[in-house]
Amino acid sequence: MADKKFKTRLEIAKKKISDQSDKNEGNKSSVLGMAFKMSTEFVAAVAVGTIIGFIFDNWFGTKPWLILIFFFVGVIAGIMNVVKSAKNMQIK
Amino acid sequence: MATNPMHQFEVYRIGPEIKINQIDISFTNASLFMIISALSILFIFNLGSSKKNIIPNKIQLLAELSYSFISKMISDTAGSKGKPYFNLIFSLFMFVLFCNMFGMLPYSFTVTSHIIVTFFLASLIFIGVTIIGFIKHGLGYLKLFVPSGVPLVLLPLIVVIEVISYLSRPISLSVRLFANMMAGHTMMKVFGGFVISLGVVGGWLPLSFSVALTGLEILVAFLQAYVFAILTCIYLNDALNLHH
Repeated sequence: MADKKFKTRLEIAKKKISDQSDKNEGNKSSVLGMAFKMSTEFVAAVAVGTIIGFIFDNWFGTKPWLILIFFFVGVIAGIMNVVKSAKNMQIK
Repeated sequence: MATNPMHQFEVYRIGPEIKINQIDISFTNASLFMIISALSILFIFNLGSSKKNIIPNKIQLLAELSYSFISKMISDTAGSKGKPYFNLIFSLFMFVLFCNMFGMLPYSFTVTSHIIVTFFLASLIFIGVTIIGFIKHGLGYLKLFVPSGVPLVLLPLIVVIEVISYLSRPISLSVRLFANMMAGHTMMKVFGGFVISLGVVGGWLPLSFSVALTGLEILVAFLQAYVFAILTCIYLNDALNLHH
């Protein structure tokens, strides 16, 4: 008797879990994670842009120009990262 | 020595020097604390999963709670497709958490306050997620860099920007963990130094700060491990459910 009761309860609990994971199909993320994501994302994009510009400058021998261009592209990428994260947060 | 706040981050050799072709692979205090963290994770979770009581004891409860915590995190961020990657994310979270927490013990060494460690973990995730994306979607994964509805004139610029923002992921992931751990520990040491230099008269204020900072640092240690794991889930979600 008690065994049967436990089995039905187990079934219900299992069903709840599977319902939950179906509902949460992708594209959701914790607000806290998003907040922390935004804090360093901007700086990282600028750094990566500058590094790429520096490497290309050394390859092609166009000393000051590509690093300047890629620095600003990096800034744009950083702003877009932050805007994208903010938009994702608003959808939630 | 005691007053230098950066002294705690020094890596030194334990035991003999081992060299293979100019590459120094000697056993250091960093390797010691990594091994301690890994072994204690193994020990706690083996102990927790050995009994399998219906009414769990404390260690089993700890293991079960952390299992359901990570499992819920994965299903919330990456959906049911993320389930097969549970092992990776669970080990990552636990390793970072234990390294951070062992760093909170006095006279210990914080492995995650060195950028090379966090950068290695982050690039492992970055390369792994990229490979998973290419396996799941083939060359269609490159569509990640081409957002829909962009005018053709702007497309080259947008692609360059998207590539830069994709490449910035491992850097932002590693710098966040490393900077938080290093800044927190330096600050604790600086306030500790104030206590000694101000003595019995003025030392009470920095001492209370130090106590408060210790609590804050424990929170940060947990939160950074959590953020590291959840961002791995988000990147995994991008690779699994392509939605551009």
